[in-house]
Amino acid sequence: MERGWSPGGKIALIRNRWLLLVLRVIVGGVFVWAGALKIADPLGFAQSIKNYQIIPHTLAFLIAVVLPWIEVLSGAFLIIGVFKRSSALLISLLLIGFIGLVALALARGIDTSCGCFGSLSRRADFSLILIDAILLVFALSIFFARPPRPNH
Amino acid sequence: MKSLLRGVLVIIVLSVVLGAAVNLRLLRRFAAGEFREGFIDRREYAGIRFITLAETEDLFAQKTQGAGGLLFIDSRGRDDFAAGHIPGALSVPLEAARRSGTLDFPGAQTVVVYCEGGDCQTSISLAKIIHDKGFRDIRIFTGGWAEWSAAGLPEEKSP
Repeated sequence: MERGWSPGGKIALIRNRWLLLVLRVIVGGVFVWAGALKIADPLGFAQSIKNYQIIPHTLAFLIAVVLPWIEVLSGAFLIIGVFKRSSALLISLLLIGFIGLVALALARGIDTSCGCFGSLSRRADFSLILIDAILLVFALSIFFARPPRPNH
Repeated sequence: MKSLLRGVLVIIVLSVVLGAAVNLRLLRRFAAGEFREGFIDRREYAGIRFITLAETEDLFAQKTQGAGGLLFIDSRGRDDFAAGHIPGALSVPLEAARRSGTLDFPGAQTVVVYCEGGDCQTSISLAKIIHDKGFRDIRIFTGGWAEWSAAGLPEEKSP
């Protein structure tokens, strides 16, 4: 059984397993959905990555081929409870990357669609950073969660 | 810790394998040099092609000599357009085109879309939108405004 990194329980945020399940379904569901839309249109996603004007052409293409699968698999594993902490870690790292990318685009005045939900994408703006930050809190809560105490 | 990293590795390796397997044809086309100028599927967007500065100059010369049906479209923001653009170009900022339900260019048979140049991408996105509206002769001038103005070609400013 996977155990949380929680020396003295200080970092462990949530113990309630039902709440954790809800968080896993929310975060996992968003990632499965977002990944599936990108898998359906890899060229469109590659173009979205290029629109941020920071990632080189070939790398953008390779990311567009692989990253949607990381999203789908991490999301699905998070929901079904396989590799929970690994999935939560990967999703957290992705979200940190997305937040950084959008923040950088905003700072450089690049007005673009986020590319996060394929053709259903919204603009890369501050509210998107907020949504990603909320998902990041959820994902980190799952990552740092401790298994429930016996008889709890 | 070990199981954590093992899980991460499994997910990444599975993703690489699945991504490569599902996109094998696309990877081959990329390796063969397709999508070098932009991630546009030429089968899906048959009416779009990329042009160089020389070809753009040629089209501009035809237009100034009175050739009809040619329209230059600037996909940059309004401020950039006002500061300088290809003479006779129409300003269609990408976001405005996305918001607008209709894009109508009366009399235009060939449209040349450009943005800032360098790594700018709005011309490609706009070209796709125009293609989706039914236009079938769209040229993307990838060098964009930067290359045009650096070459000392005619410019026009808006008040």
